Order: sequence, then C-alpha cells, then structure tokens
Amino acid sequence: MTDTGPQGSFLVRHDFLIRRLHSLSGLVPVGAYMVVHLLVNSSILASTTIFQDNVDRIHSVGPVALQVIEWVFIFIPILFHAVFGVVIIAGGVPNTGEYRYGSNIRYTLQRATGIIAFFFIAWHLWHMHHYFAPLGGGNFQHQHASSSAAIALSSLPVKIGYAVGVLACCFHLANGLWTMGITWGVWTSPRAQKHATTVCAVFGIGLACLGLSAMSGFGDVDIKAAEEMERLRIQEKKYIEGKEERPTNSRRGVDRDSGG
Amino acid sequence: MLFDYFGGQCPPYAMSDQHPEIDSFEVRVLRQDAPGERSRWERHRVTYERDMNVISALQKIAAQAETVDGQPVAPVCWDSNCLEEVCGACTMLINGRTRQACTALIDRLMEDCPGEIELRPMSKFPVIRDLVVDRTRLFRALTKVKAWVPVDGYLDRGQGPLRSMEEQQQSYPLSECMSCGCCLEACPQYTKIESTQDESESDEDFSARKSATYDSAFVGAHAISQAVLFNTNPIGKFIAGERLDALTGPGGIQMCGNAQNCVAVCPKEIPLTTSIARAGRSTTLHVLKKWFDR
Ligand code: SF4
Ligand code: SF4
Ligand code: FES
Repeated sequence: MTDTGPQGSFLVRHDFLIRRLHSLSGLVPVGAYMVVHLLVNSSILASTTIFQDNVDRIHSVGPVALQVIEWVFIFIPILFHAVFGVVIIAGGVPNTGEYRYGSNIRYTLQRATGIIAFFFIAWHLWHMHHYFAPLGGGNFQHQHASSSAAIALSSLPVKIGYAVGVLACCFHLANGLWTMGITWGVWTSPRAQKHATTVCAVFGIGLACLGLSAMSGFGDVDIKAAEEMERLRIQEKKYIEGKEERPTNSRRGVDRDSGG
Repeated sequence: MLFDYFGGQCPPYAMSDQHPEIDSFEVRVLRQDAPGERSRWERHRVTYERDMNVISALQKIAAQAETVDGQPVAPVCWDSNCLEEVCGACTMLINGRTRQACTALIDRLMEDCPGEIELRPMSKFPVIRDLVVDRTRLFRALTKVKAWVPVDGYLDRGQGPLRSMEEQQQSYPLSECMSCGCCLEACPQYTKIESTQDESESDEDFSARKSATYDSAFVGAHAISQAVLFNTNPIGKFIAGERLDALTGPGGIQMCGNAQNCVAVCPKEIPLTTSIARAGRSTTLHVLKKWFDR
C-alpha cells in the first residue's frame, strides 16, 4: 500500500483486493454476526429468563469493551460492506427483463435485498441501539431485554418492517454464500454447484425461520411478567454487589417502580 | 445436462423438423447509418423458402433494398463468415436473443413467433453500421489475458508433454470458444463502451485511448475462460502468472457479479461458471502468494 496517486486510481488498482474483502466481510464478521444475533434472539422462545441470561452474558464484557467489539466487528465491517456494495451495484446494469434465468433473477435480488438490508439495518440500529435513545429511538434496554424488545416490536408496521428486513438479510446472506463459492472457487463443477445450491437454500430457509420465530417469540412475551422478572434480577445484582437489600419473590416489591 | 441446470434452453438442433405453411414473413431491422448516429426501425417483407436462415433472409432483404412500404433503401449490412457457427461474426439479437444469424433457422423462428422476426445489432458493442458492430474490446480482452501458448521462435522443442484424458476433457470444451460475444451481450456487469474520436486526435492516439479504456473495463467471461484454458496447457502454463495478473488488475475477474447469464447463453455450451470459479480460486491464491513473496 504505497500509493501516492489520486484516490480513484488507488481504488482501481486495488479493486481485486477490495472486492475480495467485500466478499469476505459479508461472511465474517457480518454474516457470522447475523447468525449469532438471530440465535440469541430466538432464545426468547425458550424463556424470557434464558434470553436475559444471553443478553447479560454479552454485556458482561463491560460497556467499553462491548463498544469496541461493536465498532470493530459489526459497525465498521457492515459499513464497508454497504458502501462498497453500493459501488458494485452502480457498476452493473441488471437485465432480468431480457434474460429471465433463475441465476440472473438472483443476481438482481441480491442487489435489491442488499439495498433493503442497508435501510433496514440503519432503521433497526436507530430503533434499538442505545446510541439513539436521545433521538427518540434506542428502545432496547439490555437490563430489560425481553420486555423492552417486546414493547418495541409490538406494533404491526414495526413487525412488518422487521419481517421484510430479516427476510431480505437472510436471502442476501444465503445467496451471497452461494456466489462466494464461485468467487473463491470452492464449488467449481456444475455438480458441486448444484449441491451448493441445496446447502445454501437450506441454510437460508433455516435462518429465515430462526429470525421469524424469534419475532413471534417477542410477540408472545408476557410483558408484565417479564418486567417483574427483570426487576428482580436487577435487584438481585445490586444485592450481590452489596448495594441493596435481599430481593424476594413476595408482593412487597411490586408497587415499587422498577425503573427504566 | 448443463442446459437443464443452467437455463433450460433447448439447443437449436434438438428442435423439430417441421416447415410452416406461409408465403412470406416480415423482418424488422434496427438500422443505423454510421457510428454514433441515431438508429431507426425498418420493415421488410421476405418471400418464404424452405430451410432458410437469418443470413439468407438478410441476403434477400439486401437484394430487394426496399421496405414494406415500397421505399427504396440502402442494402442492409451485416457480418458473417463461416456460416456454420464457428466464427462468431454473425452474432446479433434475433427476437431479443443473442445468437448467431447463420444457425437461426427461419422455420424454427416461425414456431416461436409466426410471421415476424426482429433483428437488432448487439447492444454492448459500438455499432459500425446496421447489424455490424465493433467487437475490438472482445479481442482486446483476449490480448490482455494473453490467450495463447507462447511458442515463438525457431527452436525445435520436440514433442509436447502428454496430457491426461481428464485434463483433455476439461480443456476441450473451453477451446471451442468462437469469440462471438454472446456471453458479454448477456452479462449485466459488461456495460457498453463507445468512444468517439476528437477532431484534433490522430488515429493512433484514438486507438490507444480506446484500448486503455477497454483495458480498465470488465474483461468478460470469454477472456476469463480462455485464461483458464491456457493456464492448464502444459506450455501455456509458463506465463500463468501474467494471465492471473491481468485477471486481478483493473476490470479483472473481481467485477463478475455471478449472474451466470454468460453460461446460459453461450452457444458452445462452455462451462463458463466453472471457469470463473476456477479462475476465482487461482487468482486468490496468486494474490496471496504475491503478497507473501514480496
Ligand atoms: S464463451 Fe461462448 S458466448 Fe462467450 S465468446 Fe466464447 S463461444 Fe461466445
Ligand atoms: S457470471 Fe459474471 S461474467 Fe457471467 S454473466 Fe454473470 S457477471 Fe457476467
Ligand atoms: S457466420 Fe460464422 S458463426 Fe455465423
């Protein structure tokens, strides 16, 4: 990287490397993160306590470390993948109208779902991430993981928005995985490509089921009960840290405000 | 088997042997007088004969030099050479599909769309006149990836090395490429480039500028496949690194978006997606190796 020329020529000269990185970043860390994210979310189907356990485990690294992880492994790679993705989209002229082959339709869909995913993730971040709480977003509170997520996802338009976004992301990842196999030369023969199609389709459908069932799981949360469980856990934590009296399951604590 | 999987197209020779009951048919041709000029549609009526192809229809149209409305027009221009689908020169859009005019049989076209045929020049190359396009960029890409075996010189090198049956079977289909450009025409990542000569520019300067523009744009599936072919040739292999350099440079393989239209339209049924995947693997390894070797 000893380029001294203008930026355009830098991008052109390192096009191969940048596109390989774009391809890679789609799988790790972005794709891998998405799978973990959906797995954690779907633990809501087991119970609100298990979901809260998982969220607490993530947050146990501490707020500073968590932000570093978020930026290095999630935000920056997604941003790179998105920005360079737009450059790639701009370089092609989809011709699905003239050539209605399945793979060509997937080529166009890959671009369309990429754009949907881009806007969905931006909105999702605003909607859930605490950075945006001062701006009216940031609805997710990690100590009230189940209840805050269930409340945030309770309205129908939000549910539809998330369903569309999650499905777009799942298609984009599964189809991206398939094309990655060509880009990196993992499946080269038509036979291998056929098998890869099956594997990627199963993966994509599985992922979509995971995402959608997690959403339905949030829809089924008993918000009152979840809040009570979360309040007790917070109290218990404070007690362990020696800041407050021992929590009980009695009615005594119920009328006390559980705090946000 | 490839066809079933990739596009479901029928190879033309697998179709029926019927003849339609018609006296004549109409051909709509998209015409253009010179590079950069506006194009216009023209309609021609052609008397039907058995076993015609699009080239023989064009010969009649050129001889008539008259539209359906009786307007006298200049004879229509097209490119053709071998008349047996091995040179690729006659490639055009026939009823919207990129294919060779010489093997587009009128009897079969009448089955798809009775009484009418639409002819357009390829859309990814600059039009020279009517159906004749300038495919310099296609050949330039083959030069760029050095699609040849480097055996220049007077030395008698004796017999070439033996090649396994398996390798021969993998290479032979790739060697069937006729540089027709169908794969480029259908590729969403291959976009048209048309340069115009400045008044102050000499012919040499113009062609140098044109080549430079072509070199920075996507090479296309045919060139990727030819690079793979010559990189597996025991002697062609000697400059494998140079080919991979070309494929990883600007406009290289990284620009492929995996739409796989190329493999679906290739008249020679060349397994282009396999070539692209093989080249994808070797370019990655090549770049890694170069990176560690420096
Ligand atoms: S690869 Fe096929 S479509 Fe492309 S130029 Fe060669 S023969 Fe034509
Ligand atoms: S697979 Fe690549 S080369 Fe073939 S049509 Fe698609 S983008 Fe073009
Ligand atoms: S004239 Fe050679 S391919 Fe048609």
